[in-house]
Amino acid sequence: MGHFSDYEADQSRLYNIGHVEDINSEKSKAKVKGIWKITGILTVITIIEVGLGLSLADKMGDYRWVLNLAFIILTIAKALFIVSNFMHLGDENKGMKLMIYVPLTLFIWFIIAFLADGSWWLEISQALGYSHPS
Amino acid sequence: MSTAAVANKKTKWMGGESPFDISYGKMMMWFFLMSDAFTFGAFLISYGTIRFASPLWPDPNSVFRAFPGGFENAPLMFVSLMTFILIVSSVTMVLAVHSGHCRDKKGVVKWMLWTILGGIAFLSCQAWEWVHLHHEGAWVGAFRDGMNMEHLPNFFSENVDAETLRLYGADAAHKFFNFFFAITGFHGFHVFSGVIFNIMILVFTMNGVFDRKGHYEWVEKCGLYWHFVDLVWVFVFTCFYLL
Repeated sequence: MGHFSDYEADQSRLYNIGHVEDINSEKSKAKVKGIWKITGILTVITIIEVGLGLSLADKMGDYRWVLNLAFIILTIAKALFIVSNFMHLGDENKGMKLMIYVPLTLFIWFIIAFLADGSWWLEISQALGYSHPS
Repeated sequence: MSTAAVANKKTKWMGGESPFDISYGKMMMWFFLMSDAFTFGAFLISYGTIRFASPLWPDPNSVFRAFPGGFENAPLMFVSLMTFILIVSSVTMVLAVHSGHCRDKKGVVKWMLWTILGGIAFLSCQAWEWVHLHHEGAWVGAFRDGMNMEHLPNFFSENVDAETLRLYGADAAHKFFNFFFAITGFHGFHVFSGVIFNIMILVFTMNGVFDRKGHYEWVEKCGLYWHFVDLVWVFVFTCFYLL
């Protein structure tokens, strides 16, 4: 299919970027409608987050982590909507998707390890009386 | 027989075509964004580490409660507006990319203009927020020298008692604002350079550069960067304003 001698010269012959859609076609209109739908979803999620933050932030007491978990889930949902729809990663092939998503799983270790480190510092400094209210 | 059949089966990894079916420029943009994601991730996670290591931390509903026009008790309203502006400018960017796929020059110009406007609006909001916080005594390195201490209670929940505030308040506010200005500053700089790239794309489009090239892929590449900036803001918003 592709010829690598053309690689630097004209990539539109190697990939699909030379393909043209009609802006007034049904397919194009459906795409634009989909984009506005995602906008609506992102806005609603943000409103829910702010609403939760305003109404429940000081009232959760020891159950604050439940609220935080909700914030994190909603944030990741927003991130996935942006990456897969706005950045069109959902339309790329499987290899490309894996190449982006798999390295990001490093964050799971990254977050757990460093937050654990932070709480250890608090614990040890309080145990040694460095930051305990006198 | 069957092994020979498998060996003869042509896969996209055998050369002659792009296994990821994506252009060089777009793939490199993705790689850059990956590395940038880890940079921002490291910043936000170090914020988390310090927060977890601190006995007291400012309350976002108390820190971010002002709104332009003299409103002093509108917690999270201004940052919600900023988030909304950035989401909308992300949408206008997708619409520009879509118009580019359709070679609709007018559409690209229109949507790029809106995107640039959204970026500038966001930066203006951020400038206002920084100036406002600066008036309250908050800045990089603040609350370490005993100055502006009268503002300190403004940043914490009303439930924090005076003794805890006296012991840990200055230290917590110092750390919080160092991270706040560093991370929102780094993000704001990304938005700023994004606006510059978007202006370049707008000028190229108006000059017909992409019509001559035969495709609007540059719009798409800058679009990836712009959405990434929006994506980072989603996380900054959660870490600083919600959690």
